[in-house]
Amino acid sequence: MYNWDFTPIWANGDLLLAGLGNTLALTVVALAGGLPVGLALALARLSGSRLLAAPAGLVIEVFRTTPPLVQLFWFYFGLPIILKVEMTPYLAAALTFTIQSGAFFAEIFRAGIVSVEKGQGEAARAIGMSKAQAMRRIILPQAVKRMFPAMMERSIELMKTTTLVATVSYADLLYQANELAQKTFRPLEVFTAAALLYFLVITLVSMLGALVERRMAQSGEMAR
Amino acid sequence: MTYRWDFTPLLDNWQALAMGAVGTLRLFAVCLVLGLGFGLVVALARRSRWRAARWFSIGFIEFFRNTPVLVQILWFYFALPMLVPVEITPFTAAILGISLNSAAYSAEIYRAGIQSIEPGQWEAARAIGMSGLQTLRRIVLPQALRRVLPALTNRGIEIFKMTTLASVVAYIELLHQGRLIASLNFNPLEVYSVIGALFFLFLYPLVRATYALERRLARSD
Repeated sequence: MYNWDFTPIWANGDLLLAGLGNTLALTVVALAGGLPVGLALALARLSGSRLLAAPAGLVIEVFRTTPPLVQLFWFYFGLPIILKVEMTPYLAAALTFTIQSGAFFAEIFRAGIVSVEKGQGEAARAIGMSKAQAMRRIILPQAVKRMFPAMMERSIELMKTTTLVATVSYADLLYQANELAQKTFRPLEVFTAAALLYFLVITLVSMLGALVERRMAQSGEMAR
Repeated sequence: MTYRWDFTPLLDNWQALAMGAVGTLRLFAVCLVLGLGFGLVVALARRSRWRAARWFSIGFIEFFRNTPVLVQILWFYFALPMLVPVEITPFTAAILGISLNSAAYSAEIYRAGIQSIEPGQWEAARAIGMSGLQTLRRIVLPQALRRVLPALTNRGIEIFKMTTLASVVAYIELLHQGRLIASLNFNPLEVYSVIGALFFLFLYPLVRATYALERRLARSD
């Protein structure tokens, strides 16, 4: 029978927490970058101009259909050769996950925008709004509300995908756990603790998301 | 000066890549069958009349959906051998992590499909004397599976992409072989471009087919 011993984890708890902090930081950066990239890609794809729609479509499809780990390796090991710049694990990870989550967000934005009845855009144009104004003031606010559950789900997927950065030595939670397991010879306790930490944080985030979703649904009822 | 792409080391090492492709396909096939198969079992357990089965199913789904699959693979590879006296190969660890993760996701897909069938159909089948299991097998599942086919195809595509994670525990698949070639020939740009292109060329037709399937099912429903 195996003797569980969690003392090395308590003693090194600060390492794991620092890793968790890096995981959250990377997720927030990729979200902050991915949302505008996604909106831009969606608008380009819906623009009606082939010159804009075709490249946007290509970026979306490529980043959605290739494995994220291959993308990360491409940005970390491959891109510096073209650009002749030094690449840090953090920069490669932020770039990869911004563009990748942008590609996924783009499809969510697109579905949301398309779901708003055509008449609304036409009505906005009829009362003298420009195309951009109609999009910003009439269509997007309604679309964003409908997209919220899908956005939430994608953001949680993003947080889970950030674990891949451990393979290029960015000190996220998984990387710290791996280091700690080697140092303490306690892989069972360390990886179990790391899994539980992820579980706690992700469950908490998805519960918060569900709460906001309910609130929004209620306020929508009242507005109607 | 622009970079000069050179694909000859890749062409010279095509056998290593082919070996990796075989490893990728092997892992994918096993995880597809186990993941989607076990997912159905978990989905049915969630509807079971035994509370223990329902609780197990909910706990399983929540745990495996709310932790990263890479953590699961590493847990099975490094942590599980401490608990059970069996040797865990990279192949086994990858199968366990990817299959169980996919089972949790597909269980929710099956559940949505089964729930989408009108209760009247259950009642009608019972009324003409079918047992619960017969109703499920002959009436509900055939319709439910048809409706969730696009979602299941998407899961399959996700599983295919996930197989690259097995390279982290040194299972021999495409990305692992690519890494090897890149480190020997100092050509990561060409290697990872080609690996990415290979995945894209293989998966994109499947993605298109899923879209088409979705549209066809939407029309016929």
